[in-house]
Amino acid sequence: MSYRIPMGPYHPGLEEPYKLDMICEGETVQDAELHIGFNFRGIEHLAETRNYYQVIALMERVCGICSFIHTLTLCQAMEKLAGLEAPPRAKYIRVVMAELERLHSHVLWAGIAAKLMGFKTMFMTCFALREKVMDVLQAISGNRVNYSMNRVGGVNRDVEDPLALLPLLDELEREMTRTVIPIFTTSSTAISRCAGIGILTHEKAVSCAVVGPMARASGINQDLRRDAPYAAYEEMKFDVHVEPAGDVKARILVRALEILESCKILRQALTNMPPGEVSVGGDKFAFVTGTATSRVEAPRGEVMYSVSWKEGSRNPARVHVRTPTYANMPAVRWMVRGARLADTPLIQASIDPCYSCTDR
Amino acid sequence: MTDLETIREKLGAAEPWVESRGTLWLNPGAAGVRQVTAVMNEAHARFVTITAYQLPGAEGFRLEYHWDLEGRLLGLPFTIAGNAIDSIFDLCEAADWIEREIHEEYSLDFTGREYEPLLLRKGDESGVNLREAAAKPVPAAQAAKEVAQ
Repeated sequence: MSYRIPMGPYHPGLEEPYKLDMICEGETVQDAELHIGFNFRGIEHLAETRNYYQVIALMERVCGICSFIHTLTLCQAMEKLAGLEAPPRAKYIRVVMAELERLHSHVLWAGIAAKLMGFKTMFMTCFALREKVMDVLQAISGNRVNYSMNRVGGVNRDVEDPLALLPLLDELEREMTRTVIPIFTTSSTAISRCAGIGILTHEKAVSCAVVGPMARASGINQDLRRDAPYAAYEEMKFDVHVEPAGDVKARILVRALEILESCKILRQALTNMPPGEVSVGGDKFAFVTGTATSRVEAPRGEVMYSVSWKEGSRNPARVHVRTPTYANMPAVRWMVRGARLADTPLIQASIDPCYSCTDR
Repeated sequence: MTDLETIREKLGAAEPWVESRGTLWLNPGAAGVRQVTAVMNEAHARFVTITAYQLPGAEGFRLEYHWDLEGRLLGLPFTIAGNAIDSIFDLCEAADWIEREIHEEYSLDFTGREYEPLLLRKGDESGVNLREAAAKPVPAAQAAKEVAQ
């Protein structure tokens, strides 16, 4: 006999509200329906009522984890419409902030994955590590969540002593290579919960057009930082890690290795940061009529903004946001099919979902 | 690297690709959205999104379809006079949610597909253009009720 089990919209296994209706035969999930929209705030419509300063603050609130990425993507699109280019030092600071945000997002996710595995000690270890990254973000921007770093034409604040951040990277790298990565990849507890579950095949990943670590964990070699570089990524040397297995373990491994790559990028950006101004263009901007697009590799994958403007207007005519979870979430339906019911919280969490982003 | 000219020739587009502010645009000419999707599938392009614009007055809609081809963002615009366009869901399953979202926000119909219940506003009324609804003044009694809630 089949029966329907709802998970969510409010459930201990979910970080944010959404609903997974699972149709089960015994303990095995046969199919699932996804329901989103519990965080729908109409942000795209609100953006049309905000001027070119206010819209940056608004879009920073699309997502609490990758708030910097959203304003970076928006500002890059607005710069194209204003005919501005951020100065070299601002581009480096954007790389630093983006990689710090990736670090804190990936470490937070590792902690949540550990919690869902029942591995509380690892959860605490990961959150202690994340706290150190948050401290650096706060030291640079004065804020822990919405950093208010981006502006049209550059960034709002300089990183006065970039080299002072290097010891943090050493410590983070040491903890990752000594504790987190070995435990996630060799511990029998972690492997028994993660290996071979929630598989998204390469073919299905291509068909669903998934992005970010989720795509890379299904054997798709894509990363905008390398394929369509923005800010100062063209000057950074790093590897893109791809795992073919497509299971939860592969997604953990890809994110763990990306933490090390982020440290590598941060070290280059901090060491080679050029001197100079951090913004151009003054305080008043003139935008031309037209549409500009911008894409950025967020911690969860590609974010795309499409921004339209009418010349002479202070407000955008249209702002469309395509977030990574919006692209990744539909694949959960295929990942939970055939899975044990008890594994579904971990499987859905393995895409590192952000429903706040998805719903907008 | 896939040749953009091959795509253009397959679509029979008369005008060249034009790079503008982050996107390589191609006017698809007489090619329909399903033909474009089939050609993009052949080229192994990754579907990114559809951006909908409601044109002023009763001019209809402009839909911009985006694909990624080896790091290049491709954009193909379609202007529709009414409120219906062919669905590409059966050719490109990644387009499912964005078609449903546009259907819910603009009451625009993607023909040839069935819709699951509302994606973003479950339990709400279907077939409402939210943009037009938002522009209408709220009756005083309804506003008072919403404030009380």
